[in-house]
Amino acid sequence: MQITKFITRLLLLLSLFIVGSSQIFADEADELGAKLTVSPEFCITSGEQLTCDLKVLLEWKNQQPRAICILSDYENMAKWCAEDDKANSLSLNVSTTEDIQFVMIDKETHETLAGVKLKVTQTAEPKVRRRFRNPWSLF
Amino acid sequence: MNRLKLLSLSAIFIPFLSWGDIDVPCENDLECIEVGQWDLGIAFGYGERSNPLKDYSDIPIYLVPTFAYYGDSWFFDNGNIGYTLVEEEKYTLNLSTSFSTDSAYFQRWDPSNIFLAGSNKFEANSIAANGRTLLMSEEPKPDVGPLERRKFTYLGGLDAFIYTRAGILNLSLAHDMLNVHQGTEARAKWLYNLPVQNWNFEFALRLDWKSEEVVDYYYGVRKSESPYWNQAYQAKSALNVGIELTTHYVMTQHWDLIFLARYTQIADEIANSPLLDQDHTSTFYLGTSYRF
Repeated sequence: MQITKFITRLLLLLSLFIVGSSQIFADEADELGAKLTVSPEFCITSGEQLTCDLKVLLEWKNQQPRAICILSDYENMAKWCAEDDKANSLSLNVSTTEDIQFVMIDKETHETLAGVKLKVTQTAEPKVRRRFRNPWSLF
Repeated sequence: MNRLKLLSLSAIFIPFLSWGDIDVPCENDLECIEVGQWDLGIAFGYGERSNPLKDYSDIPIYLVPTFAYYGDSWFFDNGNIGYTLVEEEKYTLNLSTSFSTDSAYFQRWDPSNIFLAGSNKFEANSIAANGRTLLMSEEPKPDVGPLERRKFTYLGGLDAFIYTRAGILNLSLAHDMLNVHQGTEARAKWLYNLPVQNWNFEFALRLDWKSEEVVDYYYGVRKSESPYWNQAYQAKSALNVGIELTTHYVMTQHWDLIFLARYTQIADEIANSPLLDQDHTSTFYLGTSYRF
């Protein structure tokens, strides 16, 4: 059991590392004929709302029908596997303050097929609050 | 005096009888501050603060600093410390400290006079009898001798802000924290900001209530100063009324021109003290400021 968990984590880390080199990965993904998309792609936080609470939709296409698994670095969904090769989407409720990386792998071979990232971005404006005294209130 | 108080009370409270959508906060950098960043600035210019104490000089003003730091809840603003208990769109409630402004008339280096330059007679001089009293009496009243020290103190209490379309209503209640006079002060202040292109005009009307302990500590006469006036002048709680205008003209990102004018009508209960020879105090300042 422990070994399985260890292997799963190792696979996840390995997959995330591969996805880090996006261009290389994109080329490989194209070669494998697999595509994974997330909608929405961005979540913008502002003001006091620093957490993204939203429902994301993962969709995938494979040139060759195959059962897949989705791995992520989102702690509430480390791994999800499709029951068969007909599944092509997954909706997921997430609550996060950081980016989430999703990776699609072949369920049987554990071959990495594609990856996508949900990006969490804070508005560029600095956080401000009301000032309670006039700057020149020393008078 | 009473008409001025009535007028001020009306001006403060009548606009709030008609509530509407509140203004968008942070229309300019005078109303808001960046969280987690020091706001530092210094003003250069000339101004004067009149001193209502008899035989005490007015206070010239050349340099004025400003320094503030606001966290998510705590804040430090020009020497005062506060903690925001509640902050909503339409109101804020703070625990905060404030200065005792009355001590500034007695001591040159009181925090309220910080960075004000000039050679003032802040020694405890002999204070002649109140002029108005002299007119009413055939026999001259005895002089007040050298004054004992009137200490500065911090006040601490609740500070509320109510934001409306008609401006900001600020209500505060604070008590002596350093056990100097054990008195209480309350304030009602109405503020209205009017931004016009590069100009910003801030109008304020204020009512400052001081408890009997505050009035007695600063304006009462000790036995050692004058046994006669110690008995003749009995302090009572008092309500001062003031108006303020603060004008900014934004020249560049860092440089502003500023003009300030303050006028306070001192309550009769204080003005009757033999230590005073004026029933009002005024401040003006014209200069340029640099915000870092």
